[in-house]
Amino acid sequence: MSDWSLIADETRALIAYALILFLIALCAFIYFHIYYRKSIKGVVTDETQLALDVAYFHEKGKRSRQEDAFYISPMDEIRKYGFTACVSDGMGGMRYGDEISQFITDSIKDMHPISFFACENNAEAVRKISNSIFEEYKQQGGATLVMIQIYNDHLSFYSVGDSDIILIRDDEATILNPRQNYVSILIRGLVRSGKQTQVAYGNKKARALVDYMGNHNPRVIYTKKPLRLFADDTIIVSSDGLTDALPWDSIPQYVERSAAATAANLKMSVKQKKLPRQDNYTSIVIRLSRSIV
Amino acid sequence: MIEYYTLMHKGDSEEYTDNIFMNFDSTVTVLIIYSSREGSPEFSEEEKSKISSMITGCRGVPFNEISKILERDITPGIDYMLIHINDSMINIERHGAIYAGIVKNGELKRLPNGPFSIEDDDRVVCGTAEFIKHLSYPAVLSDALTAESSEEWMDNMVCRISEQNMLAEGNLTAVTLIVRKDENVRV
Repeated sequence: MSDWSLIADETRALIAYALILFLIALCAFIYFHIYYRKSIKGVVTDETQLALDVAYFHEKGKRSRQEDAFYISPMDEIRKYGFTACVSDGMGGMRYGDEISQFITDSIKDMHPISFFACENNAEAVRKISNSIFEEYKQQGGATLVMIQIYNDHLSFYSVGDSDIILIRDDEATILNPRQNYVSILIRGLVRSGKQTQVAYGNKKARALVDYMGNHNPRVIYTKKPLRLFADDTIIVSSDGLTDALPWDSIPQYVERSAAATAANLKMSVKQKKLPRQDNYTSIVIRLSRSIV
Repeated sequence: MIEYYTLMHKGDSEEYTDNIFMNFDSTVTVLIIYSSREGSPEFSEEEKSKISSMITGCRGVPFNEISKILERDITPGIDYMLIHINDSMINIERHGAIYAGIVKNGELKRLPNGPFSIEDDDRVVCGTAEFIKHLSYPAVLSDALTAESSEEWMDNMVCRISEQNMLAEGNLTAVTLIVRKDENVRV
């Protein structure tokens, strides 16, 4: 005889209801577990996200004053807003180079958080900064600007002038941003007339800027769509004081596993060159690696 | 529509001996002949005029048919690439050292032979080995993503080549193509 007979009918009924409810809950749990696991797999892949390791140096060289300025967005907000970094290089030989480059990086800082996806608006905002410099300084000074944004594994960039955004991938360096200098205009003209381009590099004004921050409505070169990044990529955002001292295509030999070690190598190597007219040199080094989120 | 820009530069050679033939319809046909390659058989004037009139009259002719004619009429050993491109697809057939790449989702991918679907603002570059050898993938990609037009894209790539050899080497032959849906056409 079962002990069930000792339990009151009402209690037995309650236990039966409880068992039925438990079975329904179990079935529902199994169903939703299978269904949602499929949906979630569509969004979150097995790939880990890219983590950023950042370091910088900001040196005066042989100049009497520091005319480079830079900005790095808060590292603790990367997951939320992405990462922004910029370098501005005050134009040598002109007044107010230091004030203007600082004004540019301060203005970028004030724009934080900058939307990663609104490239056209961001370019317009950079143009407005340039226009306010134009109003204030009446072309008695100017600066270059290079700015990058990284969000997940994509890069956008903005450039006015001839500072550098260098990508090092598979031990090969590439300057990503086209330089806005006179030599590029000369080359275009020569190519259209079917000529070689030696004469362009011999021109005294070859390195002169054709656009800069402080000009009215400058052309802001920017990525219309972001560029994909990969683990082990290194990005260097830099004033031309770096690439004047170290040829840009030699930079991979200074790259280490950490951004700090790469920055230290680059800084030391520029110092060791002991160039008598070493310009200010500022670089932000970003190293990407796979990371478990 | 398809926006395009071509580069045909003789470099330090005495003559420009590569060729680009094009036909414009709702589908654009591009044929690149890389006869300046070292060791390549000569692409004779007779062949040139035959191929030129074939491409001029190829409107509506299926890709496979054009491909068969080229295989029959072009001297074996001459490198060439045939491209059919419109708003929604690209079809490519490559013979030899001519390369095509497409900019999609922030990456530059090499296009193998065959048909592929394309979308608005997709960007395609086709060039001979002489053109491509001076350019890294990130350089081509970055120039594509920053350019306002196919002409600017080509100009920026040429500047990079010029920095390395001042355009004083062999013939340079390339085409940049950008897919523009009607509402995005620049006047």
